[in-house]
Amino acid sequence: MQRYDCLKTIAGEVGEALVVSAGLAAREWQALRPGDGNFRPRTLGLASSIALGIALGLPHRKVIAIDGDGAFLMNLCGLPTIAWQKPSNLVHLLFDNQCYEASGATVTATVSGADAVALAKGAGYTHACWVRDPEEFRAEFLQAWKRNELSFIAAKVEPGQPELPPIRVDELENKYRFIRYLEATEKRPILGAADHRPSS
Amino acid sequence: MACLCPVKTLEGGSDIDNPDALAVEICSPVVSGLERIKPVDSKQAAHIIVQGLKKAGINFIATLPDLKVVEVIEAVDRDPQIKHVPLCREEEGVGICAGAYLTGKKTALLMQNGGLLNSCNGLTTTCLQFQIPILLLVYYAGDLGDRGFTTVGSVTEPVLQGLGIRTYVLRKSAEVEETLRGAQILAEDSKKPVAVLLTKSVLGVK
Repeated sequence: MQRYDCLKTIAGEVGEALVVSAGLAAREWQALRPGDGNFRPRTLGLASSIALGIALGLPHRKVIAIDGDGAFLMNLCGLPTIAWQKPSNLVHLLFDNQCYEASGATVTATVSGADAVALAKGAGYTHACWVRDPEEFRAEFLQAWKRNELSFIAAKVEPGQPELPPIRVDELENKYRFIRYLEATEKRPILGAADHRPSS
Repeated sequence: MACLCPVKTLEGGSDIDNPDALAVEICSPVVSGLERIKPVDSKQAAHIIVQGLKKAGINFIATLPDLKVVEVIEAVDRDPQIKHVPLCREEEGVGICAGAYLTGKKTALLMQNGGLLNSCNGLTTTCLQFQIPILLLVYYAGDLGDRGFTTVGSVTEPVLQGLGIRTYVLRKSAEVEETLRGAQILAEDSKKPVAVLLTKSVLGVK
């Protein structure tokens, strides 16, 4: 099982959910659920923290964070912070391939037994579980989606992904498109006027 | 970054009135009870800073304590108009504030300058790379007259300069409101973080 096999089972279920994913997963998610509601951070580890900020800013919107094990391990201190805030609109996904896949596939600490679900539970996540196959992943995700409580779902996966088109949107365009998407769907301005005139 | 010294109640009041001894004491194993070492006007200083933040439009603040900004954090936490997110490490605050900014929040990150150093990759590859503003409120440990933090104090302004983050050192309470408002305008307009370094004099602490 690869990450893509899991993601494709939920891509049609999430509607206008806001999705934060970095690394190789970002390209897969963009292919599976194209659109401007996908934000792609460039700092290893911060996807879950950025997702928390979005979830707190828009508590009525569903938010999904997609982590790899390298990112997850780098931001372990972010877990208690997320659990403390307990955003009911956040689902945190982890695909654990036991290596820094995008950085040459050197192994991570999960290869020696670091257990991401135990770490999440220890940090204060009430709902956290491992899934073994794409069907179980889909079932757990749909439960989490309906539960409306902070949830964490982790899957051990093989490295690798299918051939997919590259993402042609750079960081700045990604940011602006994401904000404009929120402005359109929230029906309110987020960025101020850009013409530097005093508002009347 | 929080002082890592174990907290222990100070017996007697021997060094309370001696700022030099106190500065050493704060970071020695003999740390006093918090109430004993806070000068009386730190609450007022915190009030001035929080009012200044609100007048600047800030409505979302992530924090990690230093002994010198405890009153400010408590005032932030009590304020119903501000969403307060306590952190475990400062760099996650960069991510949380960035996410909140995307949704329209006006954000600040309150920390010690050691925490600023913890945050450098996030500031670079999230804030600068995506052009996302955050008002950085940084307690300036190791500033003029401060004992125990001269190393972190000495690298603070050069690091901010290296990151290209505009920096203002606040030393007078009378300038708090104008500086915070101005810094937030610069942050929003440049779409970059702007740092305001908080010194002991504006925090009402010795």
